[in-house]
Order: sequence, then structure tokens, then C-alpha cells
Amino acid sequence: MVGLVLVSHSKQLAEGLLDMVRQVAGPEAAIAVAGGTDDGRLGTSAALILTAIDSVDTGDGVLVLVDLGSAVMTTDLVIDEMPLERRPRVRISGAPLVEGAIAAAVHASIGASLDEVAAAADTARLADKVL
Amino acid sequence: MHETGGEHLVSESPERVEAEFVLGNEVGLHARPAALLVKTAARFTARITVTRGDRAADARSLFSLLALGATRGSAVMVRAEGPDAREALAAIAALFENNFSE
Repeated sequence: MVGLVLVSHSKQLAEGLLDMVRQVAGPEAAIAVAGGTDDGRLGTSAALILTAIDSVDTGDGVLVLVDLGSAVMTTDLVIDEMPLERRPRVRISGAPLVEGAIAAAVHASIGASLDEVAAAADTARLADKVL
Repeated sequence: MHETGGEHLVSESPERVEAEFVLGNEVGLHARPAALLVKTAARFTARITVTRGDRAADARSLFSLLALGATRGSAVMVRAEGPDAREALAAIAALFENNFSE
């Protein structure tokens, strides 16, 4: 099963989003969070992101969903430090965090491939909240 | 013609079946019910579309389902096409009949 990692500058945001994703998408998906810095401040932590990726990586791939700016940069650094053969199965999604996480979790929970889970998250880019 | 509960099977052949459902659950086709629908549709190979008025959604796409704007009381048409269309429609009918487990 493809694993998901939710990266946010805020620990509370990441944990709150996980609650919400579980409620909407169900309990099946493997999801870890990496919110805030190592000492609990606002920011991102390469160590927390790596731990989160490791905890959900079963070999089928990991999609990392991020909130803003340096979340991408820090995750990029983490992936760059990985062995070459591991890098292709860890991917950063450019989708909006909340909608992307929910769509990705729905598809991950039904056993979709990394490509399919990433594509599901990408459908969130065009989703209009106001109908 | 076959009729059970609130839905009407308006056409049937082995490959293509469709039925109309009225959303009886409290929140309509919002995120959680739509997610259940996606997960159910993904168990089948049939192509499944949900239409409401002139809007059509792929049942495997959460956001296209949400864009239907189907609230409580809305009527939606579900069409399944493919070798397991009948089984797929039956599984989806069960979701509507159980009000998406609300």
C-alpha cells in the first residue's frame, strides 16, 4: 500500500488534518505526519519528515503532501539524502494540502499505485470549493 | 423493468445498467459519502458515472462527485458500463439504501 506523509509548518495543523482525513477516507491508509520543528515550533524538520516517510514506506511508494514553501525544500533535502534506488518511490505532491490529502488517502486505501495516488491528489488542483 | 425500494432500473443489459437514486442522508454527497462512493466504484472494472441534471461525474473522482453539488433530496443517476456493471450498481445501490452509513 502506498504511504502518505502530511508535512506542515504547524504540528497542530498536521495532526488536525490527519483526524479529518481519517474521518473522510476511513482508517485503512498508512498516513504519518511531520508537523513543526524538532522542538515544537512553527517550521519544518528534515528529521521528522524522514521518520514519517520511513514509518509508512512498505516499498510501494510514499506520497508527501506539503503546506507551503520550505516544506517542499526540506522534503527535497530529505529525498536527496536517500539512496538512489529509493528516491523514485518517494514523491512530493504539488496539490493543495487538505483536498490533496483526502483524495490521496481515498485512493491509497483501495490499493492504488503511487502514480494513481499522485494523480488523485492532483485532481484537487482544479477543484472549486464554491459551486 | 425492475424496481426495488426507491430506485428504478431504467435500462438493463449485461454491460450497461443505470438507476436513479435520491440522496436521503443528512449531508448529501459531501466528502465522506463521496469518498465511500469512490472506494466502492474502484472495486469494479465498470466505468461508473454519476449525473445530476446536466452535470456528470466520474465515480472514481472525489472532486468531480463533490462538484455535482448533490444535497439531501437531490436525485442522481448512476450508470455503470462494463463486464461487472450489474455488481457495481448493486454495490452502489446498497450505499444509497444505507444512507452511506450515516
